Order: sequence, then structure tokens, then C-alpha cells
Amino acid sequence: MSLISAFARLGLQRGGVAGPAVARCLHTTPVLCAEPLKKKKKLDPQVVKQREDRRKKKIEKQIRRLEKNARQLKPVEELEVPLELIDEKDKRQRKLTPLGSAELEERALLKKQWARYKHDERVSDFQIIDRLVMSQNKALEELRRESEELYQAAIEVDLQLLPVSLKGPVASPPIKNYASPDGDYIHQSMKWE
Amino acid sequence: MLRRFVQVGARQATRAQSTAAAQEKWDLYAGVLVERLPVVSKSLSPVEQQFQDLLWRVEYENSLKSDHELKNERELAQAKLIKQGKVQVDLDDSMTKQTAQDLKDAYVEELKKFQLGSRTTPDDAAKKTSSTDRCLEDTLYLLVQQKLGQEQHMILPQGKRQDGESMRQTAERVLREQCGDDLQVLFYGNAPVGFHKYKYPSNQRAESVGAKVFFYRASLRTGNVGDKKTPGPKYEWLPKDALDGKLTNVAYADSIKKFLL
Repeated sequence: MSLISAFARLGLQRGGVAGPAVARCLHTTPVLCAEPLKKKKKLDPQVVKQREDRRKKKIEKQIRRLEKNARQLKPVEELEVPLELIDEKDKRQRKLTPLGSAELEERALLKKQWARYKHDERVSDFQIIDRLVMSQNKALEELRRESEELYQAAIEVDLQLLPVSLKGPVASPPIKNYASPDGDYIHQSMKWE
Repeated sequence: MLRRFVQVGARQATRAQSTAAAQEKWDLYAGVLVERLPVVSKSLSPVEQQFQDLLWRVEYENSLKSDHELKNERELAQAKLIKQGKVQVDLDDSMTKQTAQDLKDAYVEELKKFQLGSRTTPDDAAKKTSSTDRCLEDTLYLLVQQKLGQEQHMILPQGKRQDGESMRQTAERVLREQCGDDLQVLFYGNAPVGFHKYKYPSNQRAESVGAKVFFYRASLRTGNVGDKKTPGPKYEWLPKDALDGKLTNVAYADSIKKFLL
């Protein structure tokens, strides 16, 4: 509408006589924000069938391949009891005198003591974790009170930390300048296709 | 009338407090807790030792005899028969064959020759606290001598934050400045693990009231304090029990203990 009025004003300024006539001649079409639909391509039914067949064949082939491989499982040697142990079990069993009641009692007591010990250890671990978390929360709270910006920088994930490699505590420390003796290297592991 | 007077007084008091809090300016410091993690596992406590022995006994009772044990038994039985004269001795065979017992003796001999690394080091005996090669079972913490005000204190390395730094960057810079480039550490994350604040003496509070210290945890990778060219400040690596004697300020020691393991 504003367009028409603008033209009308233009007409008035020029001469004033042709004004309304110009406005009547001008047509505007509504904005659709869309385009006409495309015609659907008609496919030959035979081609469609061919394609479907091909897809079916492909899937069938994959299934067949999976089934074939499913039969070939790689055995886990550690899980199988060696046959000679089963055969010679009687020969290999230790003939020990059965434990006396005093010994059994002592073992039971020791197990109970162990359970209590581990429980205490676990509780103290939890307390340590609580203490550490509380300490960290307090530090972060105080940092936030000082500056929101520093707080946001502090709670960011440290991407450089991972992957991290740590060498755990060992039973005896490494010997300095120790040259490990050379041994024979026999490669035993089987190859499974 | 009196109540109203009290209320007004209280209101004024709170207002005064809030303005003071807004004006208070604190210096921000970053501190670094550098720990040398244990190198060897902890020695077993009496209970742990007893239970370990029990587990080994049970393991032995439930186990089957090995090939080596069977061979040994067979040979002992054979020797007995020979002694009784029931079986002829095959001289060639008995001379060349190595019995299970012989093998076992050889193995024991070889094991005896091998010396395990010692769980205590020469630095343990010398009580050389500047060395990281001691107290292998414990975590060691780094204390560095620093000047606070007029006096020297043994504290965790700390330093003031500069503009435009995050606290983590401050912590890294402080450690580098105080301990040299030789000390390689791994920082655990961007967040501080502990907090401590203290006020400056009353005659030095012109700019800021005190210091707020944010502690970061880091573990030692390699190296030690100080380069070869420039010797660092006085420093010590101490286990947790020994920290008490060194941290003279009680409030500071309490703040530190909250995030020690």
C-alpha cells in the first residue's frame, strides 16, 4: 500500500492529472514464500524392482558373511582347563591332613578381623574424599566471590590432562643402571584368521 | 521509643558493614602443592601380613601339583627302589640326567645372586630433605622458603596474580619463577583444590587488606628445584607427618591439611 501511495504522491507532484490513473494500472502480486511443486519423475517399474533386488542381495551377502564368521570363534586358552589336569587330577591332588577345629576357628576370626579392617579403611577413604571435595568447593566459592571471570576459567575442563600416564608404586624400586639379561624370545601366540 | 532507637542503630551498623565489605580489597595469590607420589608400595601392616599369609596357605591347599613336583616325586621313588636294589642302575643315564632337585637348587642359587632394589635409600639415612629420592613409601610435599613481610617462612610456593592471568596460569608461572625450569610437574586441572586467607599487619593495609591464596595440586614428573646455573631458594621435600614441625603458622597449617591426602 505504501508503494502505491508513494507513486500517487509522485504523480501529484508531476502534474496531478494522471495520478489516479497510474495507481489503477499498477498491480502488485502477493508474496508467496514458496515455489511450485516439482513434477515427480516416473520410474520404470522394472528398474525399481532391479534396484530392490540388488539391495536385498547385498544385505543377504552381509548376513552370510556374518554367519560364517560367527562359527569361527577365537578360543580363549586361559578359560579352558588343560586336558592333562583333568586326566591326572587324582595324581596331582595334594594329600594334606584336614584342618583342625582350632585352625578353622582361627581362620574365621582372622577373616572377621580383616572385614572390619577393610571397612574402617573404606570409611576413612570416604572421609578423605569428602574433605578434599569440601576444600575444593570452598576454594571455588571464594574465587567466585572475587571474580566471576576467574571462576569460569577455573571450572573449565583441562584438555591437556588426558591422556595421562602414571607409574604406580612398585614392590621394589628400580635398580639404577641395571642391564636386563638377554633371554630367548619364543613367540608362542597362535594366529587366528 | 527505646526499641525504635535500637532498630535504627542496628540498621546503621549493617549499612556500615556492607560498605566496608565492598571496599575491602584482597590480593589474589596462587599456591602450588607439588607432591612426589610414592615410588614403592606401602609395607604391609600386621593384619595385612597375617591375611596375606592365610591367602597364600589357602592357595597352596587348593592347588594341584605341578609337573616339576611330579617329576621330583617320581625320581625320589626311583632312588628309593635303587637303594633297595630292586632296579638296576643305568650308569650312563643317571650321570647325564638332571634331577628336579638339581634344577631347584640351581634356581635358588640364581635367585640368591639377584639383589632387589633397596626400599630405603642413602638419602634416607643422611636425612637429606632436599632430595626426592627418599621416603619412597610416602608422598613427599615441596616446601620453599619465602619472604612474607619481614620474615622468612617455609611454605608452599606461592605468588601474586598479575592482570590478565587465570589462577592456573599464575600457579604455573609462580612455580617456574621460584623453582626453575628443571622442575617438571603435572597440574591436576584448572580448579584450585584449597584455599587460605590471611590479613596483612594493620600498618600495611593501605592498598589491600590481605591475601587470598588459591592452591593448585601438581605431581612431580622429573627434576628438582633450581637449575644448574642458578641455585634455587632453600627448599625441602617432606612427608605429611614432618609438615607439622615446619609450618609455624597454625591457621596456615590447618588450611593446608584440608587438602592433603
